[in-house]
Order: sequence, then structure tokens, then C-alpha cells
Amino acid sequence: MADRVLFRFMTVTDYEEEEQFLSEQHKEGWKLCKYLLPGIYFFDKCVPEDVVYRLDFEQAEKSEKTEYLQLYNDYGWEYLFDVNGFSYFRKRAGSEERELEIFSDNESRIEMVERVFKRRMIPLLIVFFSCVMPQLVIQFLNWNERGDPFAKGFVIFFTILFGLYLYLFIHCGRKIRRLKRKYMKE
Amino acid sequence: MLERIKRVYVPMTETGFYILYCLREEMHGYNIGQQVRQMTGGEVTISPGTMYGTLSKMEKDGLIRFVREEEKRKLYVITELGWEVLEIELRRIERLYKNSKGEYIYGR
Repeated sequence: MADRVLFRFMTVTDYEEEEQFLSEQHKEGWKLCKYLLPGIYFFDKCVPEDVVYRLDFEQAEKSEKTEYLQLYNDYGWEYLFDVNGFSYFRKRAGSEERELEIFSDNESRIEMVERVFKRRMIPLLIVFFSCVMPQLVIQFLNWNERGDPFAKGFVIFFTILFGLYLYLFIHCGRKIRRLKRKYMKE
Repeated sequence: MLERIKRVYVPMTETGFYILYCLREEMHGYNIGQQVRQMTGGEVTISPGTMYGTLSKMEKDGLIRFVREEEKRKLYVITELGWEVLEIELRRIERLYKNSKGEYIYGR
């Protein structure tokens, strides 16, 4: 089993913070060996080192994954695993600065932000508007008008879900805007 | 040529230009990266994420095509459409260069 387990809740738009966090852990002698949603990181003890972690999001289709990973391997990146569409890579920080990036222009950085938005945020928005919102209203009416005893539980459940979604939308929405702006200016 | 392709690819990004230029000969992603490095004396780097994304996009748009696979590496080569785009781009760069040296382009 892993030598250290940490919990950090990161949304899909926090990948830069995640990279930073993993790098810091490695510098203290903890290298990432496994990651489980929603935020459980498993580390093994290792020699403290400057290692850069990078996350790429859903670039290759499943049928092309081998070639995709081979390309990263050619560039000297160690592939760890895929979680939630993100591919985790790392590399020792000894080489030149630009060798430590997986994207060399802002266009491809913006494209990654857009992929995250399209494939992770839009499905959430659909679930929110087609399920969470209507259910909350329906259950609330059931409870209010008919005094349905189960409805109260549902109202509480969907209210919590509503709050959670709202938090995610606001957080991720702002984050995406900030990331895009940053890459457009650089 | 398709108007859409022209709109997307002209003028080209530095990454796009070098990739297309290198693919006059068949090559795989990492090879292209190496060659660009050499050609530009290390001034231009194309990282793997950018390389993979650009190759996929160009293949989808028909500027390059997949030739064969060699030890899990995909080799690509430029297509006729790719050549058309590259030639437009080369003329544009030449004009920029000449103009920057104070030369004028007459005629056409």
C-alpha cells in the first residue's frame, strides 16, 4: 500500500494547481503512485527531487492512445495513468525550461481549456437544467401542496445538490475565464 | 481550395508552418520536433501536446495524411492540399522578408 494518502478536492479546472501540488510533494520525497476521485492521492516514499508534473486532457482517442503515449515517451515524459479524462505525466526538472512544458504555444493551451469546458462542464450543465432544477421544483411542490412525507427528504437532497452544482459552476466558470485570459495575454 | 481551410491556416502559426514544412518528407512527431530544433538552432520548440494536437487537426483537415506506423509511431506526409497551403504561406513569408529588407514587390 502507499506510504502516504492525502485528500485534496480539485475540480477539472484546477489542473495547474494540481500540477504544482504534485511537484511540491515530490520535492518533499513523496511521489504520486495512484489517484482516486474525488481527490484521494496516494504517494510512495522516494528521494526528494525536482520533478515536474503535467496534465493533458482527452487529446487522443482510445484507439490512438498507444501512439499518443509513445510521442510523450519520446519527449522524455513518464506516463502515470488516466483519471477522469486527464493523463498524468512527469519529468525530472533537470532539463531546459521549455522541455518541461507539454504545450509550446498558447493556442494549444486554450484548446485544452476548451476541451475541458466542452466535455466536462456542458454535461454538468445539461444534468443541472434537465434534472436537478426540475426535480427540486417538483419535489418542493409535492411537499408543499400534498404534504408528501418523502418529498421533504428529496427537497433536502436536491437543495444540497443544487448548492453543489452552483458552487461548481461559479468556481469552474471563473477559472476557465481566468485561464483563457492568461493564455491569451502571454 | 476550400475557403475554410484557407481561413484557418493562412497565415499559419509558427508551429503549423514548421510541421507542414517538415512533412514534405514522411516523418513522425518526435522526428519533426527534433528537426525543427535543429533548423532553428533551438529557437523553436514544439512540445508533445502541441505536436499531437496539430498533427491530428492537420490530418482531419486533409493537409497531411497518415502513411504507416513504425514502432508505435505514426508517420505522416503532406498532401496536395497541404502543398497548396504551404506554397501560399511560403510566398507570404518571402514577401514579408523582401519588404522587411526594403524591397518592393511589383506586378501581379
